[in-house]
Amino acid sequence: MENFNSPQEIINFAIQSEQEAHDFYIELAGLVKFNELKVILEQFAAEELGHKTKLSKIVVDTEKTGLTAESVLDMKMADYTVDIQTKPDMTYQDLLTIAMKKEKKAFKLYTDLAQKITDQNIKEIFLGLAQEEAKHKLRFEIEYDEYILRDN
Amino acid sequence: MMNLKDILSPFSAWRNLLKEPVTIKDPLTERPGAPRYRGFHKNDIEKCIGCGTCETICENEAIDLVAVANVDTKNGDSGLRPLVDYGRCCWCALCVDVCTTGSLTMSNEYTWVSNDPEDFRYIPGVDKKEWDNNDLGWKKPDYTLIPTERMDMEEMEPSEREGTFLEIVRGYSRAQAEKEADRCTECGLCVATCPAHMDIPGYIRAVREGDMEEGLRLLYETNPLPEICGRVCTHRCEEVCAVGHSGDPLAIRWLKRYIADQVPFEEYKRILGITSIEENGKKVGIIGAGPSGLSAAYYLRIRGFEVTIYEAKSKGGGMTMYGIPKYRLPMNMLESEIGFLEEIGVKFVYETRVGEDISFDEIYKKHDAVFVGIGFEKPYKINIKGEEQKGALQAISFLDDINKGKKVDIGKKVAIVGGGNVAMDAARVARRLGAEVYMLYRRRVEDMPADSEEIHGAYEEGVQIIPQTIPVEIIGEGGKVKSIQYLMAEMVPDEKGGRPKPVPIEGSEQVLEIDTLIGAIGQEADYGFLPQEYLDKIETNRGRMLVDNNNKTTLDKVYAGGDAVNKTADAISAIADGHRAADAIERMLLV
Repeated sequence: MENFNSPQEIINFAIQSEQEAHDFYIELAGLVKFNELKVILEQFAAEELGHKTKLSKIVVDTEKTGLTAESVLDMKMADYTVDIQTKPDMTYQDLLTIAMKKEKKAFKLYTDLAQKITDQNIKEIFLGLAQEEAKHKLRFEIEYDEYILRDN
Repeated sequence: MMNLKDILSPFSAWRNLLKEPVTIKDPLTERPGAPRYRGFHKNDIEKCIGCGTCETICENEAIDLVAVANVDTKNGDSGLRPLVDYGRCCWCALCVDVCTTGSLTMSNEYTWVSNDPEDFRYIPGVDKKEWDNNDLGWKKPDYTLIPTERMDMEEMEPSEREGTFLEIVRGYSRAQAEKEADRCTECGLCVATCPAHMDIPGYIRAVREGDMEEGLRLLYETNPLPEICGRVCTHRCEEVCAVGHSGDPLAIRWLKRYIADQVPFEEYKRILGITSIEENGKKVGIIGAGPSGLSAAYYLRIRGFEVTIYEAKSKGGGMTMYGIPKYRLPMNMLESEIGFLEEIGVKFVYETRVGEDISFDEIYKKHDAVFVGIGFEKPYKINIKGEEQKGALQAISFLDDINKGKKVDIGKKVAIVGGGNVAMDAARVARRLGAEVYMLYRRRVEDMPADSEEIHGAYEEGVQIIPQTIPVEIIGEGGKVKSIQYLMAEMVPDEKGGRPKPVPIEGSEQVLEIDTLIGAIGQEADYGFLPQEYLDKIETNRGRMLVDNNNKTTLDKVYAGGDAVNKTADAISAIADGHRAADAIERMLLV
């Protein structure tokens, strides 16, 4: 468990996580054979950078973080699909599985952190970040639902 | 015997001789028409589909179908609406009686004064009139000029189907076909909806007139695989049939099959006028002998191209040969249609997988154009734990094995995951092999993408559909499938208006003991045959090749069609793709 001394440190941690996610997708884009998948992975990467920028703009010395807790639908697809190994001939199904599992991990990380911290302000920041990740996961799950599971 | 009253009564009319006519004496008093009077026309614009049956039946040519503002052409609606000319109309009301939707009616208003003769040509329902809300007048009567019930198709009883792959549907007799064909109003709405734009009213007319040779010629104008489509077409034409608005839609698919069944294959060349082909010296290579490739091959060959089809399997037909069970499409029908293509000079190179037995580069370089019709043959895995175990099959390979005559041991209890046509085929085949079959589908039965007649057939044959189930793990014992664990799902409405989303209900785990699990959640194209330098130039969208209006890919001189291109994933769309590409290849190479 990371130790945080201030809300700013939490934000910095989140920013670093988004940067790592960006780097992961860029690395994957260099690996896959299909142009279409390269483009999609680059989009994923760009979105992670977007999240990073959003986090950078949060002013933590006020009580408002701009992140609000709201209920996000969880289709739980990331829960029961198997882990995918990264490889050059990955398919769209593989990519979506990787992406939703990654978002789920990020959600879980922030939720766990929120549970273990007593400071109400910091807790709220974590919960807000968790909601953001849940939304990203839902987007991938909907895409999986519509295009991969079209006959199911 | 005539009495005095009979003699005098005609003279009693003379008493009115000097009276003023009522129209002069009392011109402004309205005298309503009888409640069922055939007065001025009304039309419910929303209900009307612009089929033009009113225009066709009108003896006086008083009705024209015209384009109107704010009504768009869409599937099953021409976007046109009837304009009535009261300089010609005789108010016989045949147009109302024959109206397929019942949208056209007549009010009991019969007086209309205007100095402008143009006023009397109007579009009921669009040009607002004071009688538009008048409920009285003539409406479509209870009797119908078009029989509402379709001719029954004789089928094998569900109880007889276990253990046999004999074709279920028996086909129409001549009398049945002609009677069914008689219901067609020739509106042509179906032509617009059919992906291949087949001349449906034309070939139905040929059935009615008993002219099978003309029927076959019309079929081949847009579809060189009528035996296949006459059996397994998704028949979207029937969904928009105008007659279907007040009864059963025409059995268009069965009528197509009737024509194709009547003409012996050895007569095809003569009937279609392909006795000799003038070679044009250009070569086209086709990858995949599925419906799109076969269609492209036919239209290119009859125009003098040297056509070679490279097929990985030992027979042509693609999914129709290897994916569709024989109780829906007997193999001899396919072989005969493919045999006809061979007879006119299409070269088939079987058991040659491009990328393994011959390189794409070689095919690309030695042909003037290439058509790619590779289909969706790579199944998506369910991607849940336990799928690698013995007894976890994919529907595509299961159906392939069965069609090849291989013996597949599926045990006594089978679960199919999926709700599309492939899942239905797998389920119904498993029933024929004597298994107890369960279908696990994530959504509701009404959401299933399978054709309704397939769902109906599955029920008839005893397939048990368990809707709103999400498989989470395949449990095995000794490396062999033993059961499947699934969660029940609740349907959560999509805020953005899409399909409701199945969301697992916590704690709703169920376990179903099975011997075999068959996955049928969907397929994708396999582009493994393309070297990287070509792959880089072919643009795709979610695994489908992007093509222009001519079915040309983003790679020079390469065209594509079928499931790897279009989302409808049916044979008729593939056939249309092949035809369109053949036209474009001809323009590119010869014009």
